[in-house]
Amino acid sequence: MTARHLEADVRCGPIATVVDLHGDISSASDETLGAAYARAEACGPRPIALNFHDVDYINSSGIALIVGLLVRARKSNRALLAFGLSDHYVEIFRITRLTDFMSIFPDEELALASAKSA
Amino acid sequence: MTTLRIAEAPEGAITINVNGRRIVGPLQGFGQMWQKTYRIRLVGANVDPLTVVRAWKEHFAEFWPPRNRFYGPLTGIAPGETAVLNITVSGMPLSTGVLVLYADDESFTLMTPQGHVFAGWITFSSFVDPSDGVTVAQAQVLMRANDPIYELGLRFGGGHRQEDRFWEHTLRSLAAYFGVKEPVVMERVCVDKHVQWREARNIWMNSAVRTMLYVLAAPVRWLTRRRAPAR
Repeated sequence: MTARHLEADVRCGPIATVVDLHGDISSASDETLGAAYARAEACGPRPIALNFHDVDYINSSGIALIVGLLVRARKSNRALLAFGLSDHYVEIFRITRLTDFMSIFPDEELALASAKSA
Repeated sequence: MTTLRIAEAPEGAITINVNGRRIVGPLQGFGQMWQKTYRIRLVGANVDPLTVVRAWKEHFAEFWPPRNRFYGPLTGIAPGETAVLNITVSGMPLSTGVLVLYADDESFTLMTPQGHVFAGWITFSSFVDPSDGVTVAQAQVLMRANDPIYELGLRFGGGHRQEDRFWEHTLRSLAAYFGVKEPVVMERVCVDKHVQWREARNIWMNSAVRTMLYVLAAPVRWLTRRRAPAR
């Protein structure tokens, strides 16, 4: 399997800021993920939603990076959401108990609806 | 798969603090969150990362320091399996377990349960250093002490140093298996310097305390068994 370098786009929206992730999330993604999160923070104090729809592979170092984002989000009392995860990674997020702190939705529409009602 | 379950107790193992214990990630622990990375370069060994990880899985228990036992699953290191650990922490016995969270050809990850020294996971992997083509073996821990007793031990009782020595020994043993003698390089990053006081009650599940009580009560159990009528 060829690794796909992570790329990230940030969309500032009225309800939440969406970070579209493309590629694999591993230890090599630290800089990209951190920079994207900083750009999302700069959009304002809205919830940040991570879009995993175009992410095929997350290894445990990648999970550790997401834990790091959760720590940053919690320090600033900001909600962090996720959507577009495959069933496999929904299960991994559940087992690693990231779901205790991060709500997961099947798609963007439901994630934004939740952010709006929060 | 969020609680540990062993079908049969390994011979000679103390298996308290394993069955039914829920696994806990670094967000559920008490202490500061650390990411520690230990690496050893397998200079001169003509091995690829897949060979390294395969050997690591097959001989995992043999690479551990003396007086620390890893009773791996009979089926080998595979996702969802539980292993029993009988280890020594600051001279005290500790019975606990781990869950195999991930396992593929390139890496495997073990996750710890309630009562373990830390809440988190350890990933064992191997890769080729792109700068010079040397195969590297790596253990990476993302952890936070499970309760205030462990946090004190890690911070002021030499716990971090003991853990560093543990993984350094493991990596050196792995390298020796391939005929390599190289230093272990360690990198430590504090991901979150705050403690989580709401998790202080985790102390109730402290496996070190429970193992110590279990060991101290051994004579009582022995006497009880002797006095029990034969059936």
